[in-house]
Formats: sequence, C-alpha cells, structure tokens
Amino acid sequence: MMFMTAFHHLVVGLVAGSGVIMGICAILVWLSSYISNLESSKTTLDRAAYVASIFTMVVIPLAIISGNFSSTNSGGAIFYNKFLFSGIALGFSASYFVGRVRFGPELWNHSSLANLQMISALFALTSIMILGSIGSKITLGESTLDIFPFWPDFMNSIVINQWFSLLLVIFGLISVVISLRSSTIKFSLND
Amino acid sequence: MKSRIIALSAILVLLLATSSGVANPGGKGDSNRDYTCGGSCHGDPSLSSTSTAIIDVEISSTAYSSTATEISVSISNLDTSDNGLVGIFLLGSKNGNDDHPEDHGWTIIQDPNGGLSNYVEVVSSDNQVTVSWVLLAPSDIGTKEIYVSIHHGSYYNHNNKAFIGETEGITVNIDSIPENYPTLAEGWTSPEERISGDSSTIKIRTVNTESLMVYWRLSGETRSHEATVEMVADQEWEVSLPATLGDTRIEYQMVASMGDFSNTMPWLSMGTSEPYFDGTSLGANLQSIAFALIILGFMVSLQSWFAPRGVKKIIDNTAEVEKSMIENNESSASELDDKYWSRLIKSEENPGWLWDPIENEWVADPAVSSGGDE
Repeated sequence: MMFMTAFHHLVVGLVAGSGVIMGICAILVWLSSYISNLESSKTTLDRAAYVASIFTMVVIPLAIISGNFSSTNSGGAIFYNKFLFSGIALGFSASYFVGRVRFGPELWNHSSLANLQMISALFALTSIMILGSIGSKITLGESTLDIFPFWPDFMNSIVINQWFSLLLVIFGLISVVISLRSSTIKFSLND
Repeated sequence: MKSRIIALSAILVLLLATSSGVANPGGKGDSNRDYTCGGSCHGDPSLSSTSTAIIDVEISSTAYSSTATEISVSISNLDTSDNGLVGIFLLGSKNGNDDHPEDHGWTIIQDPNGGLSNYVEVVSSDNQVTVSWVLLAPSDIGTKEIYVSIHHGSYYNHNNKAFIGETEGITVNIDSIPENYPTLAEGWTSPEERISGDSSTIKIRTVNTESLMVYWRLSGETRSHEATVEMVADQEWEVSLPATLGDTRIEYQMVASMGDFSNTMPWLSMGTSEPYFDGTSLGANLQSIAFALIILGFMVSLQSWFAPRGVKKIIDNTAEVEKSMIENNESSASELDDKYWSRLIKSEENPGWLWDPIENEWVADPAVSSGGDE
C-alpha cells in the first residue's frame, strides 16, 4: 500500500518531533529547579511538554497502525522490535500525561514527583530515539547510534505467546484501573 | 478517422516507451531459462553484441551414466557494468526452447549458488569469474553435448546493449555404468541451505554403496575434515556436519565405495539461512499494548506513592459534611413537631382527643394513654 508507506513516514516524523519536544522540555523544566536561569521559562516549558505529550500519545498509535500496513513491514524480528518500542514509548508518554493531569503544574515543586515525571519523559524520548534508529536500519542499513559499542542486536527479539500477551494486556488494564481508582480524588497540590 | 488516430498514437507512444527502457540491468535472479532467455530481448541482434569474454569449460570427456560429474566454467577478460553482474547459462542446446540440461537427460544436483537452476547470476571479481555445476549424467548411453552461454552489461555501454558470449558444444561420452558402481541415487539433490545453528544430519541416498565417507570444509578453506556418517537404512545415510552461523557456506564431498570401486564425487556446498522468526503482526501489537499498559500502571502507582502525604485528608471533608447534615435534619424535625402540637385544641366533649383546625381532623392526645372510642 503506497499511501500507507508515505503516511507512515509522515507520522513517524511527527512522533520523533513531538517526542523530542516533550523529552527536552520536560528535562529543562526539571532542571529549572536547580538552574535559576531557567526559572522564568518554567511555565512555558511545562506547557510545551504537556501539549507535546498529548500529541505524542495521538501520533504513536497512528504510527503503529500505518506501520502494520506499510510495505516496509516484512515481518522480521527488527519489525517486531519496532512495535515493542512503540508500546514502551506510548506507555511512558501516557505516564507523563497522566502525571501532569493529576497533579497540575505544581508537581515540579515536589522533588519526588518531578523526578518521576522527568524519568517518564526521558524514557519516552529514549524509546523514540531507538525507534528512529531501527527505522533507519531498515531503510538505510545504518543509523547514527551505531557509534555506541553496546548497541543491541535488533535482529533478534523477545517473542511472547499471543495468549500470554493478551493476558498481559488484561493485567495491564486492571493495574491501570486499580492505580487510578486508588487515588481518584483529583486534587491540586496547592490546597 | 478519429479511432485510427487514437490507435496510431497509442502505437507511437508504445514504440517510444520501448526505446527508453533498459532490460533488467540489475539482473533477474537465478532460474531455469532457455538460450538467451528463450530468444527474448537479448536474442535480438539490434539489442545485443558479442562479448569479449573468454569462456573455458572443464568437464570430464567421459562420464558413467547416472553418476555425478562436475562442470567448471571459468570466464575471463570480462568487461561488465558497474555492478559486475554476469548471467551464466548451462544449456543442453541453443534452440531457444527446451534448452535446459534436464531436457537432454542431465540432472542438476547443485548450481554454483547452491540451488538447482541452469541460469545463475554471479558478481565478477577482477574481470573474471569461476563457477561450477554438479550434474548427474544422463542415463542414456551415447554422446551428449553441453553448452555454456553468458550475458552481461558493459561499463561503456551508451546503447544499453547486452553482451552475449557462448561456447560451442562440449561433447561428453556417456558410458554405461560398471556393474555395482557406487554412486548417488537418482533424484537425490543436495540441500540448498540450513538454518543458522542447526546441526541436524543430512540424508543421502546412494546405489551400490557399501561404505560412504564424507569430508567437509568451510568455503575458502583447503583443509578438509572427515564427517561422521551413519547408515540408517539400506542405501540411506545420515551425515553429521557442524552447524554454521552467519553467511558461512559449508562444502562437503562424498566418497562412495563398493568392493574395489571407489567413486570420489565433486564438492557440494550448502548455505546458511537466518533462523525462522515466529513472531506475528497480531502478537507484536498485543505485546506492544501490554507493555504500554503495564508501564502506565506501574508509573501511575509510583505517582500515587510519591504524592505528598496528608493532602488527601485535607481535601476530603466528607465526614464533616455528613455529620452537619444529620444535625441539621435532627434540629428541623424537632421544631416542626413543636409547631404541630401547639396548634391542636383540647376538647371537653371528647376527652383523649385533640382538634387540628388546619387539617380539620381529630388526633389522639399522646398525654392520655387510653383515648379514642372508649
């Protein structure tokens, strides 16, 4: 499907762009607690990261769907890894978004929560970088991250049985619901 | 008139399109083909030219019927295009149809690329290339001819021509096989490749063979090693060759013996393929969603864990609200009761009963324990 291949390339670009904005802005907001020069931009950076996280959450599923139908999907281990890292990136982006919704912009005033948000954004950014690198390996045969001596072998993948994956999906859903219900009261840290 | 113009225009467009086309400069892959691909593009003298390459063919002038024999083709003085690609045909005739050696009684046991094709594409190095086919000689006794043909591009090739080279017929005398001559069974072919890391045995079927010895070596090595051979049934053998990894090719040679006869066969080779990947698209999607949800659940739990203590208690005033509501309810009920009883009028005529002037009804006086009808 020619359209899906072109659309996939477009969406992947959007994932990379929004993911990088989310990651970099979140790290800068976190740093603003330690670097006084960044204090004045804190609100702007926080909002940029927040909006970018929403956009990332929208475009990652689109990238997964278009990747399914893309002509570059030959079904090997390297493509399997692409799907796995998409899931990881989506999980961390969603965690960042949920954290920001639950605690508001004041979360950056609480070091534990701020560290957690920064870790979510950093892991999402790393996953998106790995995703881009895998894509580059597929289309160009090499990637800029090849310079690392410890670069993992993406020609192999961890394949879990489909039924067990379905069980994990149910388990994941239950864990998300329980985690959210255990703290259903929406509160602001200012109160 | 209009339809004629349209038809002529269509023909003209098609003719113009053909002149701008170039026939498969990247090759078409190994396959079974007749001479000049059955007289297609390269058979046209206006689209082809004679190659300057020198083709040397080595094959035993005599072969026993239905026994393995090797044909080695060395091509030198090649002038190829950028990619160095050369297509080599092994043919039983040069008619343009039914030219495959199998149409003339030969059986291909292995082609130079490990397959079973009479046409292979190879990349030349230093303007030369050497390849070999392993064949099972025809079962018919007599004289057989075999031909080699090549085609390739050229570095300076402004007319996009194909360069064709070919040999004259190479005569091979097929003699009757000596009685009890040990050789391979008809129809047996060498496996093309094994999965990386697979050390399973290879099955070989022979005829008239009392003992079988197999030697192996890695491609490019000169020193060979003896493999373990086990007879599993009559004329059926299992050979243990070491597992290979990556792009490695392993070569093996069989020596079949029967009494005084010993038949040393040509070297065969076997490639290594990537392990089979059993992941599916659905599985990848499910696993991806599972990872996303588990990460989200875990991070949300951590957020709850790290949320500052006591915030929930400050915000949650449900108990206080409920308490005040109960108190309000209780106080308003007692006020209503007082108003109601104060408006009731005592009656001398009906002791034990009180008159409600608003509702116009008698109400039993709670102060009198026995009232009413008595």
